[in-house]
Amino acid sequence: MDKVLCSVATRGRYFTTLPLVLQAIINQTKLPDKLVIFDDNDEPLDMRKEMIYQYFFQILNIKKVEWEWIYAPKKGQHHIHQIANEMGYKWVWRVDDDAIPEPDVLKNLFSYATAIDSIGAVGGSILTPPLQFEGYFPTGKIENIDTEPNIQWSNIEKIKEVDHLHCSFLYRAGVHDYNLGLSRVAHREETLFTYGLKQKGYRILAAPHAITWHLKNPEGGIRSESKKEMYAHDDQIYRNIINYRDKTIIILNCGLGDHIVFNKLLPDIPNPVIFGCYPEIIPCRSIAEAKALFGDIEHWNIYKKMDQWKWTESLENAFRKLYL
Amino acid sequence: MILIHPYAKKLISGKKNPKNYPYWEELIQKIPKSIHIVQIGIEGEKQLVDDFRKNLPINQLKQLIKDCRIWIGVDSFFQHLAWSENKAGIVLWSVSDPLIYGHTANNNLLKDRVYLAKNQFLWWENTEHNPDAFIKPEEVIKFL
Repeated sequence: MDKVLCSVATRGRYFTTLPLVLQAIINQTKLPDKLVIFDDNDEPLDMRKEMIYQYFFQILNIKKVEWEWIYAPKKGQHHIHQIANEMGYKWVWRVDDDAIPEPDVLKNLFSYATAIDSIGAVGGSILTPPLQFEGYFPTGKIENIDTEPNIQWSNIEKIKEVDHLHCSFLYRAGVHDYNLGLSRVAHREETLFTYGLKQKGYRILAAPHAITWHLKNPEGGIRSESKKEMYAHDDQIYRNIINYRDKTIIILNCGLGDHIVFNKLLPDIPNPVIFGCYPEIIPCRSIAEAKALFGDIEHWNIYKKMDQWKWTESLENAFRKLYL
Repeated sequence: MILIHPYAKKLISGKKNPKNYPYWEELIQKIPKSIHIVQIGIEGEKQLVDDFRKNLPINQLKQLIKDCRIWIGVDSFFQHLAWSENKAGIVLWSVSDPLIYGHTANNNLLKDRVYLAKNQFLWWENTEHNPDAFIKPEEVIKFL
């Protein structure tokens, strides 16, 4: 069964757009199996005491949608999304706390995700009134990210395969990690995540008939940080990862024996760029450089991966799964 | 010549590595005196035979692997190095799983899977050394 978790990360919007978002989720024609709300407020409240929220929770119970309110770790929304990513659902529908989906959004996104092979993520239009980007025809290619509006910002009229998505999308959970090396503002986290799914061989779709209305609000929001250096830090990580997109990044932050085992499959790996600890086994650049370039290197932690996969086969096959 | 690699990497905590075979002295006693045994390892490890070669670079280890008739070791980098040199040997297992970390070309001597650590993917710092988890020397010698 393809179970769907709906994940909402919220900050500073208890009494503005968050109730509208929750209502829109409750009124979906296809309901998620579970709704999880990650509360990233500096001073979190117990919303069970608020009348509107009391009703929301009761309606969720009546509609048999499991729900959970989690006080988030306040490290940025990428950490929140990674928690959702690892909650054991096949699909996660992430909805921003100022983005109001029309009633059929999940139904339509889910139908694309399950009808087409190898879907990594599918997102619909995210429209901000007044509409500004009609008449543009974005390609959705990663190389055009600096020169065109995101494809989700205009009305998507037909299905299109793209390299990345921007926000509020349905994705295949547990196959790619969020980059936890980004700062608290998590600039470009969605782009890195969806492009990472694509690099793993999954297809990314911009889909029609799945409109979400973005009630853009300068107050609150999960990214309510203004430190320019955080954005610069995250943008640099993004650019470094994209600059290596035609290479296979290999990071061996592990033992001598692991390097020896990995070395056997090196000839099968296209365009490898290797960062490691034992250059006498495999010529490599340092782990410190990998951390500086890519921020979070846990995506490449073979032991973490084997643990996640509940691995029972050989270490060599685990490396093959990670890199081939 | 038989090559032995008796000890896995030292733990940060200073505790005994649970992968270290506890019966080396008895095992060595059972090997005919006419067979030359070379121990490889690092400074600070217990010397078990006269010929103890410490801190060798990888290329010298590879040469010794080529030159030996057989090797005996624990689950450490050495079993992987010998595998990469296509030289089969004997690996003495306890808490780590030979189906994950071993190579089918070797004789992987595991007493019982009941002794395997529940989580195979953490550091070995929190796993206690248990001599009962290892196969006895008289069993090992049958494979030589």
